[in-house]
Amino acid sequence: MPTASPVASRLAELVGGEHVLTASTVCAEYAVDGLEPQAVLRPGSSSEIADILRFAAAERLAVIPMGGRTKLGIGMPPKRFDLALDLSRMTRVLAYDPRDLTCGVEAGVHFADLNRLLAAERQFLPLAPAFGTRATLGGIIAAGADSPLRHAYGSTRDFLLGVEFITGDAVSSKSGGRVVKNVTGYDLHKLLIGSLGTLAVITRLNFRTFPLPPQQATFVATFASADAALAWCAALAKSPLEPKIVEVLDPGTARIFAPAATRVPRDGWSVVVTAAGHRAVVDRHARDLAHLASEKHAAEFVALNDDDGDAEQHALLQCISEFPNMVLETCPGAAIFRIAVLPSAMPEFLRRVGAVTERDISQRPAPGDKTPEHKTSERQTLERQTLHRATLVRVSGVVYIALLPTTNNANEHMNGVASQSTSTSATERVGDLELVQACCGLIDLGIAMGLRPVIERCPLPVKRALAARGRSIWPPSGAEHVLAERLKKVFDPQEILAPGRFHGGI
Amino acid sequence: MDAKLVRELEHVLGPAGVLAGTEDLLLYEYDGSIDEGRPDCIVFPRSTNDVVEIVKLANRFDVPIVGRGSGTGLSGGAIARRGGIIVTFSRMKRILAIDIVNQRAVVEPGVVNLDLTRAVEKDGLYFAPDPSSQKACTIGGNVSENSGGPHTLAYGVTSSHVTGLELVLPDAQVLRVGSSTIETPGYDLTGLVVGSEGTFALVTEITVKLSRLPEQVGTLLGVFDTVDDATDTVADITSRGITPAACEMLDAWTLRAVEAFVHAGFPLDSAAVLLIEVEGVREAAEAQSAEIADVCRLHHAREVRRAADGRERELLWKGRKNAFGAIGRLSPSYYVMDGVIPRTKLTVTLRHIAEVGKRHGLQIGNVFHAGDGNLHPLILFDQRDPVQLASAIAAAGEIMKFCVEMGGALTGEHGIGMEKNELMPLMFSDADLDLMRRVRAAFNPTGRLNPDKVLPLGKGCGETRVNVAQVPVGGIT
Repeated sequence: MPTASPVASRLAELVGGEHVLTASTVCAEYAVDGLEPQAVLRPGSSSEIADILRFAAAERLAVIPMGGRTKLGIGMPPKRFDLALDLSRMTRVLAYDPRDLTCGVEAGVHFADLNRLLAAERQFLPLAPAFGTRATLGGIIAAGADSPLRHAYGSTRDFLLGVEFITGDAVSSKSGGRVVKNVTGYDLHKLLIGSLGTLAVITRLNFRTFPLPPQQATFVATFASADAALAWCAALAKSPLEPKIVEVLDPGTARIFAPAATRVPRDGWSVVVTAAGHRAVVDRHARDLAHLASEKHAAEFVALNDDDGDAEQHALLQCISEFPNMVLETCPGAAIFRIAVLPSAMPEFLRRVGAVTERDISQRPAPGDKTPEHKTSERQTLERQTLHRATLVRVSGVVYIALLPTTNNANEHMNGVASQSTSTSATERVGDLELVQACCGLIDLGIAMGLRPVIERCPLPVKRALAARGRSIWPPSGAEHVLAERLKKVFDPQEILAPGRFHGGI
Repeated sequence: MDAKLVRELEHVLGPAGVLAGTEDLLLYEYDGSIDEGRPDCIVFPRSTNDVVEIVKLANRFDVPIVGRGSGTGLSGGAIARRGGIIVTFSRMKRILAIDIVNQRAVVEPGVVNLDLTRAVEKDGLYFAPDPSSQKACTIGGNVSENSGGPHTLAYGVTSSHVTGLELVLPDAQVLRVGSSTIETPGYDLTGLVVGSEGTFALVTEITVKLSRLPEQVGTLLGVFDTVDDATDTVADITSRGITPAACEMLDAWTLRAVEAFVHAGFPLDSAAVLLIEVEGVREAAEAQSAEIADVCRLHHAREVRRAADGRERELLWKGRKNAFGAIGRLSPSYYVMDGVIPRTKLTVTLRHIAEVGKRHGLQIGNVFHAGDGNLHPLILFDQRDPVQLASAIAAAGEIMKFCVEMGGALTGEHGIGMEKNELMPLMFSDADLDLMRRVRAAFNPTGRLNPDKVLPLGKGCGETRVNVAQVPVGGIT
């Protein structure tokens, strides 16, 4: 590897020449929001990372740490980007004692590899993250990923026991520990969850692990409307049942899932409930859920609890976990919102989301649609609305809403055919403009309802267009932002770590 | 104390809102730990605005501020180590909102932990963190210390149940962090402030999650003839993937002390009892109860009892939760420790504790959260005897060091406070502690708020309780 530039040759001294990549084709693969690094570094140890950060801080080179590179699109475009810090060589499992139900791993360990190791001991990490085969644990934590399992097991902050990390001024530090209960010192590691690498580079993570339930089954209750589906969820929440997963899919999402999850009806709002535990516990859920479904007049109730159902169950849960991945495969130009909403506010919010996105999208006729807008039948309205939006509600209080631009022929996308063709920049611009308007509408709606909408994924032109309108993929920050800024100064005084990607321009 | 400051505080809070008499100050110089420190005055705000005015006055007169709930803390967190104003939240005890559908409550910091549960249990809900002091301790105190309790084994400590806070910073600025929703974009400031032991901000409003009461609770008492059998049972339950909601252990000495006081029905001639609880849907509670009873018997339990009804359950728990009180009848002073070890190290650690007690000639009882490896050795001594006090502190230091060497931690739920701040180098390097110091300074730059807590005071200033010359760096690896 030619390391012509003086920076590259000095970096080669730190990590070894073969781990400094400067070829433009390689750097292009590590681009973040269109910005390419000067060099890609693949450190093999924490001390090498510290050396790199010391050098970078002295030279004021901007560094973005990354693992499986599956979530680099999250955040605003970085202000600067010089060095990509690829942690994919940091893949050691440092500690795992099954009898303690704790483990410690390097940041580059793949989620799938760890879970395979845990499964051999009938344990697991209660996460089912998107990009599950490629995502690393460091990336999952730094990106603040959640998963359907948070319903029963909480979010990562509830089972991340401790972290070792290196700050922007190259200080190797840590907080927490590796025992399951610990209040020793300040919980600095909680700050790193969802920080997008803006405070420190995570090098080691300690987790609590959990026993795998002996049995598991999944049930799907389908309703004609969001309101009916959510009302059923509210009834379920009041029941003594203790499901592990409760998620609601709208018809748009059902269609995206359809090729894999064949038994989810495509034209309704489906509640997906997973129960796990002893056979008697799963059977109890099966009985009570069927009863609750008929009591509340579900249009359809499917139990995936027999041998045939098992494959289907796994396919469906896989789809739910991979929601952002599947949306982007279906429609690479989609924008995906992540919004925390209290359960009681969810029905009204979804109603108003429908109104906002329909209004914004119905400005122009759908492709190939000759019928004037006002003359479409109700059925067709539903049809078109669901072509443009895919919703996934985590009933515990988060909703993901994907807005799918239709310029590249939505019908094709919705049939599962990802558009591989490079669309002309002109149509991209039209599609993006439409998407920008819809995004702004949804942001305004969220803020009007006292929510803090985040656009987790959207095309770079949309980010730029939002910025040009004085907006962001992040919600506006409040007075507490002064604390975030002070903490950024403490951890990264030179502002070399992923500058500009985070909330409030951090 | 500056009489002018007292007058100005009285002007803000009314004469009944300020105490500065010597006999009053004496009552506020201690908490549930063995530490002491005399404040200069005690104030009782009724609102966030009162707190802001107090903080402004403290700044003007340049005196420390220490927040306090009910004073049940076990690490000196609410003690005015450098004097100054103690801000007691006992008048800010309103439950501001209860939202049954969303399972949230908004409370002032002075609300007593159990009072919140009592307010919502008719709707099938409760507040999950359940410290033994829950009849007295406040939710503000729970937030400061990130308190636990027996059922945190299954449901997590306080931070898992707090979604938002209102803070008064030491510069008198009022800020909100988090919200009522389950996540808030930006750094997790709520998660950072919970457990900061009153050194970052005064918390004036708390939004908490409420949990749903389980359909069925199974409470079992396993009676053992050896401590090793009891600890092996705990390890076996964990490794079989059984997930009790609580798993508590009392050793022979402690259970006899408790029995004499509470009459919970603990067998006096046994070596240890395990109090284990399983919760959930009926089928789950039943299956797990049966499994646990089997595991107890496999490890030679002499007897496995199952609480037949709520009254029997309450009696067993009364024995556990009044353990510290029972010890208080037997000894002039006792020192409750709070070490954590990996669960597989229970047996060896309990042997070590017994050996330390023998060597120092001190009685040490054990009553603790066995399921998560959170030990509470109780060292009995007479605080009036300086020799005994010194031995108790030395024994405690040895036990803490052993816990850390086992891969554990200095505190599982009681906090560091002024009790263990000089032991922090056992777990953390100078760089770790310096970063924590700088993070604290982002909130509390002058150190006015709860001074000299959590972090070691630095060489030369302040007494170092235990010689920690050999400091292993990298406590968590």
